[in-house]
Amino acid sequence: MHRVLLPFEFFEPKTVEEAVRLLDTANSKVMAGGVDLVLKMRLRLISPETVISLQKISGLDYIESNPAGLILGALTSIRQIELSSLVQKNWAVLYEAVRQIASVQTKTMGTAVGNLCVGTPASDIASPLLVLGAKVKIAGIHYEKVVPIENFFIGVGRTILEPNEIVTEVFVPGVPAGTGSAFLKSAKTADDIAKVNAAVMVTVTDKICKDVRIALGSVAPTPIRATEAEHALKGQRLDETMFARAAEAAAEAVIPISDIRSTAQYRKEMVRVLVKDALVKATGNATA
Amino acid sequence: MRRPRRREMRKERAKFIVNGRSYEVIIEPHMLLVDVLREKIGLTGTKYACGTGDCGACTVLVEGKPVLSCLTLAVTARDKNILTIEGLAEGTTLHPIQQAFVDGGAVQCGFCTPGMVLSAKALLEENPKPTRDEIKEGLAGNLCRCTGYVKIVDAVEAAAETMGKGGRS
Repeated sequence: MHRVLLPFEFFEPKTVEEAVRLLDTANSKVMAGGVDLVLKMRLRLISPETVISLQKISGLDYIESNPAGLILGALTSIRQIELSSLVQKNWAVLYEAVRQIASVQTKTMGTAVGNLCVGTPASDIASPLLVLGAKVKIAGIHYEKVVPIENFFIGVGRTILEPNEIVTEVFVPGVPAGTGSAFLKSAKTADDIAKVNAAVMVTVTDKICKDVRIALGSVAPTPIRATEAEHALKGQRLDETMFARAAEAAAEAVIPISDIRSTAQYRKEMVRVLVKDALVKATGNATA
Repeated sequence: MRRPRRREMRKERAKFIVNGRSYEVIIEPHMLLVDVLREKIGLTGTKYACGTGDCGACTVLVEGKPVLSCLTLAVTARDKNILTIEGLAEGTTLHPIQQAFVDGGAVQCGFCTPGMVLSAKALLEENPKPTRDEIKEGLAGNLCRCTGYVKIVDAVEAAAETMGKGGRS
């Protein structure tokens, strides 16, 4: 840990166009809230020559909804999402996840898009957005593209973003009727990074699982969908036996690592526990 | 197009509005807000502890919102309203939150106190009548190694009551 940062050139573009043009060297970094970036600079994990702040681009901190879904801007803070009654009411799994991020200061400074762009497999924002089927909008020089969040992460700390690209917004589709959700995480303390997190969204008709999505954090190089568990559940009657079978399938499929926060064995075991608990909770919400 | 490698960065004159007073100081982009407040402006009430955004000791309010000054580039706080612990008391009259901390024994070594008090201020501004759980959530980003938190939560509860009765906020 270093007391001071190494010097860098600093730019505050006023438009997205200007920002992507400035991001022209491998050693330039884009900053939204700065929580992760400044921390990594203090730790000297990175020492960019150029920092490009998005904070002076006006109108990027929105939470909007339309009949199709919810739209979050690149500068929308995690705290804004937590305090949004719209999110709480209609995108419960995202609300539950951001609520469990403890520090008010971190949530106030940190942005949801920034959190995704860090590319950490332990993201508490990525798992709910994976089950919600979110899409990220990416801006480059003279183009925009929209990518499903499933294709956004490619490795630990790595996303599909090219040097000249930034994420400008995230689109989250509406949740179908009869759907329940849950987000659970296991961490050393409430304030810590997750050892494992699990997000579940299940659509139920007459006690039959019409659709289910399960996402896991901190058990692979990227946030992942537990597709084996999803297949085990789809079209099945939702009961304790099926929940246990799906949880087993999820645990079997993951190949986590051991690190400072947990061991591979414990993580695998916690996948079983969290997936089962989250399925029970989500199914309860769906039929409530 | 690759920019020439340069580690000599531009210095600039920047204005910070701290506790209602305007300060002009010379800064560089890599300077952190905590250091500008403590070393350039001389307000050492804001504490530097973990430096990694975990402990909350360096919390200040920027435009009324609690931020970690150890992870904030000072350049991004130019021209903004910053409240530090020095801005709470009026002369020798403590702010009700400060008074409640003193009265309730919520200060032991005192190192977390400025951050705690400012987080409490932000909380009470958003939610003047918080439950105990809401107080704990509001202060979750601030660590205290002495008190065990009970007296801090008590003090914030007491301050909310005083302020609700017309004490100033």
